[in-house]
Amino acid sequence: MTTPSDPDRRNNKTIILIVTLSASVLLLFLAGILTGTVRIPLADIFIILSGGEASRPEWHIIVTDLRLPRAITALVAGAGLSVSGLLMQTVFRNPLAGPYVLGISAGASLGVAVVVMGLTLIPGYMVSAGGDWLVVIAAWAGSGAVLVLILLVSFRVRDIMTILILGIMFGSATGALVSVMQYFSTETMLRSFMIWTMGSLGGVTGPQLAIMVPAVVGGLLIAGASVKMLNTMLLGENYARSLGVNITAARIIIFVSTSLLAGTITAFCGPIAFIGIAVPHLARMMFRNADHAVLLPATALTGAAVLLASDIVSRLPAMEGSLPINSVTALIGIPVVIWIVIRNQKLTGIF
Amino acid sequence: MGDQLPVLHTENLSVGYRGARESSGTVFGGITVDARRSELVALFGPNGIGKSTLLRSIVRLLSPLSGNIYLSGSDIRSYPANQIARMVGFVSTEPVRVNNLKVRDLVSLGRYPHTGWLGRLGEQDYIKVDEALDMVGISRLAGKNIDQLSDGERQRAMIARTLAQDTGIIVLDEPTAFLDLPNKYGIVHLLHRLAAEKGRTIIFSTHDLSIAIQEATKIWLMLPGQICQGAPEDLILDDQFGRMFENTNLSFSTGKGEFRIKRELREIIGLRGPATERRWTRNALERNGFRVAENEECGATVSIDIEGGTRTWKLMMQGSTSRFTSIYDLCSCLTSAGAKAF
Repeated sequence: MTTPSDPDRRNNKTIILIVTLSASVLLLFLAGILTGTVRIPLADIFIILSGGEASRPEWHIIVTDLRLPRAITALVAGAGLSVSGLLMQTVFRNPLAGPYVLGISAGASLGVAVVVMGLTLIPGYMVSAGGDWLVVIAAWAGSGAVLVLILLVSFRVRDIMTILILGIMFGSATGALVSVMQYFSTETMLRSFMIWTMGSLGGVTGPQLAIMVPAVVGGLLIAGASVKMLNTMLLGENYARSLGVNITAARIIIFVSTSLLAGTITAFCGPIAFIGIAVPHLARMMFRNADHAVLLPATALTGAAVLLASDIVSRLPAMEGSLPINSVTALIGIPVVIWIVIRNQKLTGIF
Repeated sequence: MGDQLPVLHTENLSVGYRGARESSGTVFGGITVDARRSELVALFGPNGIGKSTLLRSIVRLLSPLSGNIYLSGSDIRSYPANQIARMVGFVSTEPVRVNNLKVRDLVSLGRYPHTGWLGRLGEQDYIKVDEALDMVGISRLAGKNIDQLSDGERQRAMIARTLAQDTGIIVLDEPTAFLDLPNKYGIVHLLHRLAAEKGRTIIFSTHDLSIAIQEATKIWLMLPGQICQGAPEDLILDDQFGRMFENTNLSFSTGKGEFRIKRELREIIGLRGPATERRWTRNALERNGFRVAENEECGATVSIDIEGGTRTWKLMMQGSTSRFTSIYDLCSCLTSAGAKAF
């Protein structure tokens, strides 16, 4: 409590929730490393994580090369996608906005499709989707292109709903282009593209993490610096402007943050559905607060926890490999979205 | 205090929308008006004439197409956006519907032009927020979510937000639309008090002329092709309001200060009785198409008697007399007798 006149801001409940969430993220992170077809004792995991020698050398490889990168990917991707969804929902004042709706994921798909299906036409060149640098760069370029397009439009068009509709159109157009390309491609190409669209947290390697983590952290920092703008935007653009916010600059900053977050994560992990839309609502439900200074960390933590948990669920069948992460997040996310739609029949003002 | 410098004045201002779109172009031109400290200005005019466009230009959501707006004597274009945000506060017609937003947090948003880049509030900001809540009388609602408020309370919260913004000028676009009568009067009276006691200049658009006449220091009246300003009473005496709906079936009664529907009145009825009863009986008779000759005897005459607290309307027509205990019964009889009686 900072002052007696401000009993709500540093609410005890908020602090307890943040601490609980952080603890859950930590536990889920460890649980993620612990889960897998090979049973490794917790003690050995701690030894490996702290840089020591485990009882068996292959455990060391499993943890540092496979499970740790996977858990870090889930943590970072969960936080990043959720925050990008929160930013879009606030900027577009639309509860169903997210990286998917604006066509950012579709743009990434187009980039990947071009690479996977286009380049394989060159004789002797073989691309395996997922893990290939070319795929990552193509996805990045694709999602970046869609965002730049939306950004350019937003200079000319004032009305944010128009931009949202255009985003959906861009997304559908790129989706259609991908379908056309699929029609002309061979079965093997199709298969490797389909695997990418299922999303995967396991394909991100150490050197890729070295790019993905700073990019996502950068996006999160920009978002954190925009808390004030985001709060004024809750009331709508006119009110934000009447409070002295430069709306064009604000949009650019927030779109840059969004494309860093969603573009990067989609590039490395493939399109992961519903995290971006659903998690901000989960955070709002738990925290009952509209202040982005609270909502932003809350959303990031919730997203990390949800994706870590989804990843564990996807590996529960104890098969070789795992279920497509996209199916797991969809099964978790869709009930949330349905609940939102049913609870608020009027979809304006849902935040 | 005619020599006092206006806080806001415009010079031959044209407002409207730029661009190649169909809706672009001048909405209203030649606007020369002013507002001084502690004045409550009501902007009045028919729908679609450009009240919102003018107000949005004053808060710099729109740029003037030509002419000038001066804030404290300097051209509005010469101020950076965050400076304007400290001089002019705005309440628009847009409904603000945000879940989980507490009244205090909404009002705190008004402090943003005064805070740093993170928007963190200091001791002074909290005091201003509390004062603002207190001024509009919703301190007890501070911890409530705004979607739990009634329309009147929400409008007060929005006004508190502009008070916390601590601007000399507050602009409100139809703050009394959708409110019930006590809330309409309550809000306008609140604005009147804030202007008078806190030295703010408050400009609001409205369609409630009678409230504006009672509370506003000044009216900016937008008539087709022309805007004029003055105390409400000056505009009434100059018969400016009558020009507002010239081509409609409304006429402005300078004596009563209100609009009435023009009627074609035919048959004459004489009317006698105490003043108040006479006034409302006349109202009813005119609605039913009768021309009323007060305190005269005609072919048909109504006289009102009050005995022991009971009113009786006596209709004398063609030598026969009928009695009624209510205006309703009187009118029913007259209209059903209708054409054949006269």
